[in-house]
Amino acid sequence: MSATALAAQIRAGTRRAADVVEERLADIAARNASFNAFTEVTAARARAEATAVDAEVAAGQDPGPMAGVPVAVKNLFDLEGITTLAGAKIERDKPPAARDAFLVRRMRAAGAVMLGALNMDEYAYGFTTENAHFGPCHNPHDLTRMAGGSSGGSAVAVAGGLVPITLGSDTNGSIRVPASLCGIWGLKPTYGRLSRSGGFLFAASFDHLGPFARDVADLALAYNALQGPDQEDPAQHWVGFAQVGASEEIGDLRIAIAGDHFTRGGHAEGFAAVAAVARALGATRSLTIPDAGMGRAAAFLITMAEGANLHLPNLRTRPDDFDFATRDRFLAGALLPAHWVQQAQRVRAAYRAKALAVFDEVDVLIAPATPYVAPLIGQDMIEVDGTMIPVRPNLGVYTQPISCIGLPVIAAPIADPVGLGTPGGLPIGVQLIAAPWAEEKLFRVAARLERLGICGAPKIRA
Amino acid sequence: MPEFDPEAYAKQAASAIGLPLNPAHLPGIAMNLALARRMAGLIEQVKISPADEAAPVYVARKTP
Repeated sequence: MSATALAAQIRAGTRRAADVVEERLADIAARNASFNAFTEVTAARARAEATAVDAEVAAGQDPGPMAGVPVAVKNLFDLEGITTLAGAKIERDKPPAARDAFLVRRMRAAGAVMLGALNMDEYAYGFTTENAHFGPCHNPHDLTRMAGGSSGGSAVAVAGGLVPITLGSDTNGSIRVPASLCGIWGLKPTYGRLSRSGGFLFAASFDHLGPFARDVADLALAYNALQGPDQEDPAQHWVGFAQVGASEEIGDLRIAIAGDHFTRGGHAEGFAAVAAVARALGATRSLTIPDAGMGRAAAFLITMAEGANLHLPNLRTRPDDFDFATRDRFLAGALLPAHWVQQAQRVRAAYRAKALAVFDEVDVLIAPATPYVAPLIGQDMIEVDGTMIPVRPNLGVYTQPISCIGLPVIAAPIADPVGLGTPGGLPIGVQLIAAPWAEEKLFRVAARLERLGICGAPKIRA
Repeated sequence: MPEFDPEAYAKQAASAIGLPLNPAHLPGIAMNLALARRMAGLIEQVKISPADEAAPVYVARKTP
């Protein structure tokens, strides 16, 4: 059942939040072992919060638009009373968080019930959630395959039906990549839209937080609840509430396909997904975001440098406690010449100016979300255009050039990957990209695609 | 100009910032530095002028 429908029943008093929580806790106990999505289940907290929601309803009060909706968050969000892991063994030594992260407080204020914390790549530095400390996340559509990352647990918990809404973070693609590989909706809002305070940052220049859901109404429900001004996030640029509705009217929108960089470097299914979405929307025009490859290179360097600087004290004293998959990247990142990083920040700004000019001509761009469907867990290399390349970094080839300039994106899953002819019928998504602060346009396009049956979370086949 | 030697560079730069390096980690560090250098080579090709400021803008305080 969707979060929206569940909240309506709980607010109407026809279903008890406490019963929903018990059902979810039992389901997580039964199936989480096969997914490895949750790293901590906050059962006592969830029961207490659900009881409070039911009490409000019984007293004739409205607990809020997310009344009794079970949610969970990537384990880089602070949850009061438990240690924020950020996917790292090193963080296990830290004291429990003193209070919830800002976005967790927002969901709680809307009536949501917190079920726990979710697996991720260590310190969010990866696209696969093959975490050496906590084990790999398993894709619900094929348990031998990667979930994507770094918000892998967040995507798996939603795709696998453990909870209807989760939160993740996206620095270079960490919401959009797992959303695509697991076949669900994900939102990476405009940089600065949602507060990041109480989230364990990775590369602050690019860090975004956002929701996952199985349908557009639930994604909107979460996004509306998450908005709010917060003086504690220096990167938040508060422009006021921008609530999104259920409109699927797109007659006024100019929609085009992203060209050049976004038309190569992937497998046929990534481009077939874009073609199917474009066809459904009647989009035939192709527009190029100039220098997207340069933007990606700049993002690569800035991420290395900022991430390494953040972790330098531990890299100096306990490098072997890092996940081997992130350790050498962090160590190398600590050593980059200042010129490379400053040049990257200047190129990033120049690239942003060119990209923003494209949005004088178009409202929404369609691009692949990932270059291929979920690779096998442990797979190192993949053939692209006749060349064997490392499978993991290339998962972000289409997402990195977008997040590094902060454009809002909805990752939209293809509803019928079997009909599209993806390998093994595995899920794949597209990116719907807009100008900064234009999330509302993305929601309208997403709702139209869902109504047309082109996009939607595909059912898990037995 | 001598060719870039990532391992030699890593040892010197690590010394400058007080970062002890385990020899076993050096091949991975060198591989990542070589990759970063390729990325840096790409962005060197972008024509920018002194008027192109870096992306992050420092804000003294959010509200007056």
